[in-house]
Amino acid sequence: MAVSKEDKYPIARRYQIADIQVSREATAVKPNVVANLIKKAKRPVLVTGGKLLREEKLVEVAEKFYSKGIPIIATGGSSRVLIEKGIKPQSSVFTLHYVTQFMLDEDWKGFDGKGPYDVVIFLGFLPYYLSRMLSALKHFSKMTTISIDEFYQPHAKFSFTNLTANKELYYRMLDEVVNGI
Amino acid sequence: MAFELKEGLFVVDELKNVSIKIGKVIEEEEEWTEPMGPTPKPDILALRKWDMKLLERYEPFYAPVQDFCNLCTMGPCDLSMNKRGACGIDLKTAKARLVTIACCIGAASHGGHARHMIDHLIKEFGEDFPIDLGGDVNIEAPIIRTVIGIRPKTLGDLREAMEWAERELMRVLHATHIGNEESLLDYESKAMHVSMVDHVVMEIADIAQIVAYNMPKAEPDTPLVDTGFGVIDKNKPVIVVVGHNVLYSKPVLDYLEEMGRLEDFEIAGLCCTTHDMARVGGKGSSKIFGPISYQLRVIRSGLPDVMVSDEQCIRADLLEACKAMGIPLIATSDAAVRGLPDVSEWPVEKIVDALVSGKLPGVFLPDPEKVGQVAPLVAEGVFKKHGGERKYRFFATDEDLWNEINKCTQCMNCVFTCPHNLRIDQGMEHAQKTKDLSKLAKLEEQCIACMKCEQACPKSIKIINVIMASNFERLYNKTGKTRVGRGPVQDTEIRNVGQPIVMGQIPGVIAAVGCINFPDEMKSLREIIEEFIKRRYIVVTSGCHAMDLGMIKDEDGQTVFEKYPGNFDAGCITNMGSCVANSHIAGAAIKIANIFAMRPLRGNYAEIADYVLNRVGAVGFSWGPYSHKAAAIATGFNRLGVPVVVGPHGTKYRRAYIGKYYKPEKWWVYDIKTRKKMNIEPAPDSLLIAVETKEEAIVQLARLCIRPNDTSLGRQIKLTHYLELSQKYLGTLPDDWPIYVRSEADLPLRMKEELMHILESEHGWKIDWDKKKIVEGPIRPFDAGFNPTLVEEVYEKYAGEKPPQ
Ligand code: SF4
Ligand code: SF4
Ligand code: SF4
Repeated sequence: MAVSKEDKYPIARRYQIADIQVSREATAVKPNVVANLIKKAKRPVLVTGGKLLREEKLVEVAEKFYSKGIPIIATGGSSRVLIEKGIKPQSSVFTLHYVTQFMLDEDWKGFDGKGPYDVVIFLGFLPYYLSRMLSALKHFSKMTTISIDEFYQPHAKFSFTNLTANKELYYRMLDEVVNGI
Repeated sequence: MAFELKEGLFVVDELKNVSIKIGKVIEEEEEWTEPMGPTPKPDILALRKWDMKLLERYEPFYAPVQDFCNLCTMGPCDLSMNKRGACGIDLKTAKARLVTIACCIGAASHGGHARHMIDHLIKEFGEDFPIDLGGDVNIEAPIIRTVIGIRPKTLGDLREAMEWAERELMRVLHATHIGNEESLLDYESKAMHVSMVDHVVMEIADIAQIVAYNMPKAEPDTPLVDTGFGVIDKNKPVIVVVGHNVLYSKPVLDYLEEMGRLEDFEIAGLCCTTHDMARVGGKGSSKIFGPISYQLRVIRSGLPDVMVSDEQCIRADLLEACKAMGIPLIATSDAAVRGLPDVSEWPVEKIVDALVSGKLPGVFLPDPEKVGQVAPLVAEGVFKKHGGERKYRFFATDEDLWNEINKCTQCMNCVFTCPHNLRIDQGMEHAQKTKDLSKLAKLEEQCIACMKCEQACPKSIKIINVIMASNFERLYNKTGKTRVGRGPVQDTEIRNVGQPIVMGQIPGVIAAVGCINFPDEMKSLREIIEEFIKRRYIVVTSGCHAMDLGMIKDEDGQTVFEKYPGNFDAGCITNMGSCVANSHIAGAAIKIANIFAMRPLRGNYAEIADYVLNRVGAVGFSWGPYSHKAAAIATGFNRLGVPVVVGPHGTKYRRAYIGKYYKPEKWWVYDIKTRKKMNIEPAPDSLLIAVETKEEAIVQLARLCIRPNDTSLGRQIKLTHYLELSQKYLGTLPDDWPIYVRSEADLPLRMKEELMHILESEHGWKIDWDKKKIVEGPIRPFDAGFNPTLVEEVYEKYAGEKPPQ
């Protein structure tokens, strides 16, 4: 079921009240905006984190991304549950820390060697860990970063609003993203 | 008649009425034939070239927590998107400076401790007190030998290393002033320098306390000490020590032993002081309450009858917390006076009276001997008042607990301030609706009792107490065993394992050290560590990681210390001791280079670090690092060529060292055998890297044990573990395994054929199937005589010519 216009979105409350920087905070976006950003991207990629090991729904969402042709970089051990579903991640062994370091390098051609990724979607991370990586990407790269985790991520370019209190809405928003791409 | 001599060797005939004061006698160096290396007492730039080699490969990575700077009055400055501040510094360099400052703080903490220790011990035992670490330890101070270029024989000799350390710390701290370094690489080099200082001062502190206090000297089978909340006998007065400097709490043991009253008291501790109490006590006279995250648990349980605090990592609201529970506090270290009155001139009775009566909530007492007397008397006095009936259930009644829970409105303010975003709201809601506390109880496993949530809660709910009370039975009955810290590794142990480590047959050394800011439940640490013990890696531990392992039992009710031997050997787990005992882990790596490979240590840091980087498959692991000391310890290991894996909170140190496997030009060495500069596999490909989950931790640790110098058999064993662990935890072969393959002999036996097919079909390698040989594909062929180095001077020394271009 898609998220209807009437749905009231919760406010974009930072996952950590003290994780403040002076530069821009993420634009809190609705699922259709995320879907459009992905559709317009030349080299989108989904990066998955360790939460997929504990949250079945996230695996399902990643699976749908994959079926729509979005490649996956699996970190945090998430490759195991993805591979069980028949997905072949572009990479399984490099941690998000490595992946971010590579993404900061303009010369990096991606795990598939086809050139730098332009839009990166993050799913299933410990919020404080993802936040640091998003901060690095914000300050030192031109990459478009999108967090579709349930915590609002201030240092992404675009982020879902804070959905921690409403898992149902969160899942519906994820569905709407995958249905829209 | 009196005259003073400077330094030198003197023969004085017919001494009569002569008093001689000698500055320092230069000892005859009859036994130490080792030549002095190029960098004794290295100054701030002496090892810069080595650092730059590392930094060229392991590129610094910055993850800013703030993008502004307000260090001087020209600021605050917006440095976002790598802009420059008013002083000209950009965001990356500002972060590099910040990391350098953190490492300075870490080194200064261990250094302050070391200075205090040696000054005190020299006063007590004399400067000639010998450094004797037992018959199995001839290389008494591998770090000091390598860095300073001396062999300390007495406590007094340690001063020379200490003075060097203090000078270098000052220099590095100077460099962090506004308007100094311009290049982030120079800051990183300085961070490495001061972190090497950190390793030196840790060694000083631990050697001094081992010899003077007769702590275990490299003994593998030290006693097991009771660990956990449940080991406390609540029918005795309870003395709780917290911190890192055993100098102040040891006299408590001494005094009670002298009085024959050890049995009448319960002495337990938190954090490293408790490790060291166990090391001095040995016979079970003091117990381990738990890691540093247990502070508020312990205090709010009401169990202590007196608290003795010293320094580092202790809560900055300790006095407040103790006051709220009516627990008298004795602060002892000049680094943490806590606003308390100095009572060192008071008679013991007056201090005891002030604390027992509650006239004073706490005192500052920097006199160790007095602490030894005061603490037991206060504990006894307080105990007499309550007669063993402590209010130790976090809440007086169940009703109080439920009233607190029912106040929660699920506003989630707590969740957005908790370092782990623990879902306190859900736990509360579940309890409100079902009267079931299990969801709240589960939080106890992860809560570090930091108290941030309580301050954020608009209903002023005592969240920590709710969480602790919800898991009351399990927390209160938690018992376990930690093996007492053993100090250094024996030379004989190194002799046995040196070759298999360097050749690779022992797949690696995993050192689990540091603090408790874990990303998940404590038991993950055991899962990670045990995977490696079972696979016959050498596993060592220290600090809070060690005492956590001492609380986690398997189905048979055993901790790893009960289950596995304490040797420095394959399939064992060794507890080195407190934070400063981490020096023996670095020391073990250094000793391998010396004892097994005969590399000279004396003032020869770069050669030794280069040896370790290329040959010793040791990896540091800190699942929950948080202190500045942990930053310095890790960075010190990095300079020594040892990679470190940290848990996800470790990214908040802001800097990592991460190499890029896809840049072949970065991965080269000089090969002394073939006299060539050659490309090698990127092993290890990072020096500091964070992982998110235990699955990821396990795979990365195995991966980072690979070294260029592995023999075929060694590489085969390392790859076997790496590939198996990756299949088990990542569900697939690791992406990068082919880059570690030099010949078919490197391939894990069980999968050899299958892997060769993959190399051929997916990676375009050429295979001669008749001979079952790899013909084309690897970065380089295997050569049994391969003798790698990154250091030109080392190349020249062994090749007898300038390195090739
Ligand atoms: S030190 Fe430099 S960047 Fe920091 S506040 Fe001062 S001028 Fe600004
Ligand atoms: S005390 Fe525990 S629950 Fe509260 S913020 Fe700290 S870690 Fe989280
Ligand atoms: S802050 Fe207090 S009231 Fe709000 S959810 Fe947390 S415990 Fe409940």
